[in-house]
Amino acid sequence: MKKALKVAAVLATAASFMLTGCSDPGAGSGTQNNGPATWPAANSDLKGTKLTIWAAQNSNKVPDSVVAGFEKLTGADVNVVTIPDPYEQGIQTKVATGDKPDLAFWQPTGSQLTALNATTNLQSLDGAPWIDSTKPALKDITGILDKTRYAALITTPAVEGVYYNKEVFEKAGITTAPKDWDSFIKLGRDLKAKGVTPFYEMGKDRWATQWWVHVQLADAAKDGLWDRVNTNKEKFTDPTIQGAINTYSGLIKEGLFNDDIKTATFEDQADALLAGKAAMAVQVNSFFTQLQSKTDTATLNKKIGFFPIAPSGNIGTFIPDQSNALVAFKTGDAKREAASRQLLSYWLGDGYADFVAKQSTISLQDGVKTPATVPDALLAVSDSLDSAVGSMQTKAIANPDLYIFLADMIQGTKTPEEVAKATQDQFAQLAKAQGAAGF
Amino acid sequence: MTAVMSPQDVSRVEDTSKARRHGGKRGGKNDHPLWFLIPALAVLVVFFFIPTLFNFIYAFTNWSSFKSAIGFTGLDNFITLFNSGTLLNALRVTLVYAVLVAIFQNLFGLVLALLLERDTRVNRAVRVAFFIPVIMSALAVGYIFQALLKPEGALNGILSFLTGNHVSIAWLGDTTWTIVVVALVHAWKWMGLSMLIYLAGLKTINDDVLEAARLDGASWWTTFREIRFPLLAPAVTFNVATALLGSMNGFDVVQATTEGGPGGSTELLNIFIFRTFGQGLFAQATTMSLVLFLAVAILAFPLIRMLRKREDVL
Repeated sequence: MKKALKVAAVLATAASFMLTGCSDPGAGSGTQNNGPATWPAANSDLKGTKLTIWAAQNSNKVPDSVVAGFEKLTGADVNVVTIPDPYEQGIQTKVATGDKPDLAFWQPTGSQLTALNATTNLQSLDGAPWIDSTKPALKDITGILDKTRYAALITTPAVEGVYYNKEVFEKAGITTAPKDWDSFIKLGRDLKAKGVTPFYEMGKDRWATQWWVHVQLADAAKDGLWDRVNTNKEKFTDPTIQGAINTYSGLIKEGLFNDDIKTATFEDQADALLAGKAAMAVQVNSFFTQLQSKTDTATLNKKIGFFPIAPSGNIGTFIPDQSNALVAFKTGDAKREAASRQLLSYWLGDGYADFVAKQSTISLQDGVKTPATVPDALLAVSDSLDSAVGSMQTKAIANPDLYIFLADMIQGTKTPEEVAKATQDQFAQLAKAQGAAGF
Repeated sequence: MTAVMSPQDVSRVEDTSKARRHGGKRGGKNDHPLWFLIPALAVLVVFFFIPTLFNFIYAFTNWSSFKSAIGFTGLDNFITLFNSGTLLNALRVTLVYAVLVAIFQNLFGLVLALLLERDTRVNRAVRVAFFIPVIMSALAVGYIFQALLKPEGALNGILSFLTGNHVSIAWLGDTTWTIVVVALVHAWKWMGLSMLIYLAGLKTINDDVLEAARLDGASWWTTFREIRFPLLAPAVTFNVATALLGSMNGFDVVQATTEGGPGGSTELLNIFIFRTFGQGLFAQATTMSLVLFLAVAILAFPLIRMLRKREDVL
C-alpha cells in the first residue's frame, strides 16, 4: 500500500512538471520583428554561411542550377535536404517540434501558410526586389496571408482545367473547345453517344476527385464564396457547394466516366488520355508532368490540349503547389535569415533566366523569356492564369479532405450529402483550431 | 503517439507473471541489487513513460500547428470525436481487422508448424523461407502485394492463365472484402513468427504422453485435439495476444496497400490518427491515440486472463 502511494506521488510530481512545461516547442524561437526586412545585394559575400533548403522528392532537383550559381557567386554553402513524402505532414511535424530549415518549398496558399503558422514561423517577404519585375497578373496571385507576403513564387502555379486528346476530338468532328459548362457537359454526352468514354477519373488514387467540384465553384469563388465559408456564413452543405458535389455525382451515375472509375489510378488516367481511351480529364499541371514522363514534347503538342472551364465560361481555377514556391523561416539567426532573403532575390533576379532555361519552364517575369521547349498545353495553362480564380486551397482558411470524401462517394460508401457534411465538420474543426471567428 | 503494446510488451507481461509464480523459490538470494535497474529504467521512463503521459495530457488541450499557445479544453476533443461518428467507425474497422488477423495468422502458423514439425533438412529450409516475411519491411510487403493484387496485376494474370478467361478482379477495390484481403496479407507477413512459437510449443510436449496415446490407439486427429492442442496453451496465449493486440496497432501494411480505402472501409484508427495529425490537429490526433490505448488495454487484460486460464490444465 505504502509502495502504491509512493508511486502515485512520483507520478503526480512528474505530471505537474510536465503541465508547467506544456508549451509548444515550435514557438517563440524566431525573431519577433515583423517590420520590412532589408534586402542584401544578390552578390554580397556569404563565405562561411550555411543554408538549408527543405525540398520534397519531386522538387529536390528544382534548385540545382540556382544553388550552384549562388554558391559560386557568394561563397555560401547551400544544402538541399529531401524530406520524404508525405512532405507537408513531415514539415509540419518538424516545425511543431522546433526543427526549422532556412528555406523550404511550400504550397503558398492561405490554408497551407496558416498550417505552418506563418506569422510566427516565417519571414515576411514584403518589399522583395523581384516583385516589380513579376508579371502584373501573377504578382499578388498567391503567397499572401493577412496582407503579408510569406512565399516567393518561382514557377507558374498549377491550374485546374480540362486536358483533352486532340485526336479523339478530331475523330468526333469537334473543332472548337467548349465555351462554358453546359456545352462542356453536352460535348461529353455527344461523345458518349459516339461510343467514346468522355471523362476519365482516378477513383483509387483519390486526390484529383476534388477538381471536378472546384472548377464548378469558380464563379462563386469570384463572388466571395470562400470568404463566406471562412466566416461560417455559408457551409459546404449549403446549395452552392452541395450542388457542385451533386452534379459530379450525377455525371458519374449517368455513365459519362470510365467504367473502372473505382480502381483507376493517376497513371491509368495519363495512359488512357494519351492512348485516346478517354477524351478528357479534369486535372492539374502535375498530370501533364506525368504525360511528359511518358512521351516527348512533339507528340504532346500533337495529341494533348488544354482548356479551362467554369460554369460561366473558360475560367481556370488555380492551385499553386509545393514545387511552385518557397518560404523563408525565422530561425533566430539574423545573418542566416538575411542570407535566405539574398538567395531568394538571386533566384528571382540574376539567376532567374538560367533557372527558367534549365527547368524549361514558363517565366513569371516579362524580362525573362520562356524557352521554346515548353509544350503548347503548358503555355495554354499559363495563359489561363490571367483570368483564373483561386481554388478551395487558395481561398479557404483550411484544407479539408474533400477529395477523400468524394472518393468515398465514388466507392459508394458516402452519399453526396454525407460528403458535404463530413467536409464541413472537418473544416469547422480546423477553423476552430485556428481560432477563426464564427466557429 | 507511442505504440501501445508490442509483442515484446506482451512477452514481458508473461515473463513477469511467470517470475511471480516461481518467485518463492528464487527469492532471498540477493544477487541482483535493485539499482542495476536504473539504466534500463531511465531509458524506459524517458522514451516510453513520459511520452505516454504527455499523450494523456495533450488529449485535453487544443495543441495544433496553427497556434503557438496551448490551452486546456477539457473533454472538448473527446466530445467532438465521439459526435462525428468517424472515430467509432475507425474503431469498428480496427477491431474487425484485428480479429481477422488473429484468426488467419494463428491458423496459418499452426498449420505450418504441424506440417514442418519433423526436423528434416527440407523442413528446416522451408521454415526459414516462411520466416523471411517476418523480418521483411512491412511497407515493402504492402507495396509488393499492392502491385500483385492490382486489377492488371500478377495474381489476376495467373488466374487468367489458369481459367482461360480474362480475370480483372479488383482485390483491393471492394468495400466489403478488401479488409479480409488486407488482413490476409498482414497474417501472411507474421505467420512465420506464429509458426516458430507453435513449433517450440510442439517440441515441449513430452514424448511419453504421445506414445501412451498411440498405444491406446488414438488417431492423429484425436491426439491433436485431446492432447497436443491443449498442451499448446502457452503458445496459443502468446500468439493470439500478440496477433490481436499487435494488429490493433496496425498501420504499415494497410497504408501501403489501400491507404484506408476503398471508401474508408479499411481505415484503421492509426490511419485516421495519421491523417488527423497531418492536418495539423495534433491534440485531436493525440486524443485518438489515447482512445486506441484504452481500447487495447480494455481488450488486453480480459483476453490474456482468459487465455492464461486455459493454461491451468498444464
